[in-house]
Amino acid sequence: MLAGLEVRRVHVEADIGRGGQPGFSLVGLAATTVKEARERVRSAIRNSGLEFPNRHLTVNLAPAEMRKEGTRLDLPIAVAIVLARTHMPPPPRSAFLGELALDGAVRHVDGVLVAARGLRGLGYERVFVPADDAAEAALVEGLEVIPCVSLTAVVEHLSGSQPIPPAPPAGQDLAGEEAVEHDLAEVHGQEEAKRAVELAAAGGHHLLMSGPPGAGKTMLARCVPGILPLLELGEALEVAQVRSLLGQLARERPLDWARPFRAPHHSISMAGLIGGGSGLALPGEISRAHHGVLFLDELAEFQTPVLQALRQPIESGRISITRSGGSVSYPARFTLVAASNPCPCGWAGDAVRACRCTPAAVDTYQRRLSGPLLDRIDLQVSVRRVALETLATEPTGERSREVRERVVGARRRQLERQGCLNAQLKPARLRHLAGLAGGPRRTLERWAAQRGFSARGFHRAWRVARTSADLAGSDEIGEEHVLEALGFRLQDVAA
Amino acid sequence: MRTRGRWPPPEGPRVAIVGSRRPSPYGEAVAEQLALELARAGVVVISGLALGIDGAAHRGALNAGGVTVAVMGTGVDLIYPAAHAVLAEAILAGGGALVSQFPDGTAPRRHNFPARNHTMAALADVVVVVEAAEGSGALITADAALDLHKEVMAVPGSVFSPLSVGVHSLIRDGAGLVQNARDVLAALRVGGEVLDDPLAAPARLGVRLPAERDGVLSHLSDVLALNAAEIARKLQLPVAEVLGRLTALELDGAVRRHQGGYVRALRRGKDRA
Repeated sequence: MLAGLEVRRVHVEADIGRGGQPGFSLVGLAATTVKEARERVRSAIRNSGLEFPNRHLTVNLAPAEMRKEGTRLDLPIAVAIVLARTHMPPPPRSAFLGELALDGAVRHVDGVLVAARGLRGLGYERVFVPADDAAEAALVEGLEVIPCVSLTAVVEHLSGSQPIPPAPPAGQDLAGEEAVEHDLAEVHGQEEAKRAVELAAAGGHHLLMSGPPGAGKTMLARCVPGILPLLELGEALEVAQVRSLLGQLARERPLDWARPFRAPHHSISMAGLIGGGSGLALPGEISRAHHGVLFLDELAEFQTPVLQALRQPIESGRISITRSGGSVSYPARFTLVAASNPCPCGWAGDAVRACRCTPAAVDTYQRRLSGPLLDRIDLQVSVRRVALETLATEPTGERSREVRERVVGARRRQLERQGCLNAQLKPARLRHLAGLAGGPRRTLERWAAQRGFSARGFHRAWRVARTSADLAGSDEIGEEHVLEALGFRLQDVAA
Repeated sequence: MRTRGRWPPPEGPRVAIVGSRRPSPYGEAVAEQLALELARAGVVVISGLALGIDGAAHRGALNAGGVTVAVMGTGVDLIYPAAHAVLAEAILAGGGALVSQFPDGTAPRRHNFPARNHTMAALADVVVVVEAAEGSGALITADAALDLHKEVMAVPGSVFSPLSVGVHSLIRDGAGLVQNARDVLAALRVGGEVLDDPLAAPARLGVRLPAERDGVLSHLSDVLALNAAEIARKLQLPVAEVLGRLTALELDGAVRRHQGGYVRALRRGKDRA
């Protein structure tokens, strides 16, 4: 059983009575989906050419106090019955999961990767999974994966008459350089925004871009995964686990080294964004964006409570959700890239088109953006429309690959120095690890005094300055790094 | 007419300064400085208490210790926009007045403002328009002034700016050109001033341009915002460096942020009184 990313073991026991009415009892707090297994299992056993016991049959799912859901228990129940009838011993340290078709075929279930990792952790050495999901389970090292096509094949394997060859361990070979889908070189102009994107990628900073429609905000956001380093093995597995739970793992290539990019529409519900559902919560968009980029376009159009719910995961990199079935926790360490229009009509500040909003409407709109969420965004940049005539020319900017090299270097410096990215530095560690010399410190303090910075704003600019220095390969934070950081500051803080 | 504060205002010429509610920094600086110099010359500055040029005009007059009158489109007991509550208090404290043709408690209504603009024109001897886009309410005030045979004057702007369209069409149609307070005083026939000799170099408004320190400032405009990338391209410098320099200039008050980019900050000149 799965509770989020946590695995709970269920022992399946089958007992064939010595007399009494023929029947099939399933006990052990089984939900409807599990109760229905009785019918599937009965048909699957008969249609596999095996005999279904003609006496009273009791199947117990232990521990009995744990509620069981889903169809993963179909295969273990059928196997337990067959073993009980044929008096075969269960294979040692083996686990089974899979849904059965009426003809005895074993069908795909979600979350096989999560289950396999959990079972290995519980000391199992062999796992029987649907053949469709074998590649997923084979990602787990040190676990023998038996791909099951049908109940017949499983029984023949167990009886030794026709063993199934274990699935080959999945190649965890690091994928070579992949083609970058959205390259920064394709973006015309926007050097200021590109620099902000680079800083965001290098330091793990959250970024807000504001500008009129069609200025290229979405394109810039889509470029972020391409300048981030590829996932490490552990990270890729974490990403794959979330996808596995949702049944969204690509079968032929379960491990993806590219950073996730999620761009939910602004009509998204709270459950859709942070996770939810009945019983136990499923991961939401923020967990799908784990180790990647969460892009929120039209930030001001999102419902306020939905945005407020982002605060906890932004702070902690995890989200805990409690539903009727219990509490689950999912990873959610993402880089937030948000985009917003400067006003409701979108044209404030445009050189060509006039804005038609009243000042009061602009004020209300911008105020919706402020508050606790904006307080956690380190970088803000204005994106302006590029003149149409330049769009026809060949863009001349750097390629994502070159930018990525700088980003990778800057991230390595940070990890070697402090074990985390600059965006995650707490103030105490910031003081300790990213000391400010007199000059730069005075500049920052002068600005803070002039603009009425909060302590949070002060630290935000400090962290970005640290990232700017890391990109320059500098151990010291210089004046120019502080000034650059202040150039990307949040404007609502300004007096 | 409902009034609050001292009404009628002290004897003296009255000039209405009107314009866009969303001016450029240039327009705002001009309006404030013009009002300051006119008030210092004893002119009562009239405006509409709106955001932008109106507010700048009231502020300028108050900074000179002058008297200013706000002609409102709401009841005099209801300050609109609310952000100008403090300004309204300052107007009253400065010996000025809030006046309205609408009964107390009248909420802001779109159709009331054109009528208010007519009243403003009627109360003023000269109407000066500073930055007005096409269709701006300030142009209604100007038309009303013409109907009443009052003098209409306009401050020119950048030809690149949409906020100059209205004022430039006024100038084309014969409105007086305003380059400084003396132009307006001349139109008022105050203190024996005559129109400037067209051949003489025009006196500037007392607005000081920030001193040049590096190449960045010379590429910035007073009106149209440029962003760091655009300036970096002109200077052939990395954008990170230009952004840093702009921030340093901003820290010194020489540039300011405007609509997603940067403009030169115009600062009021040294007090000449």
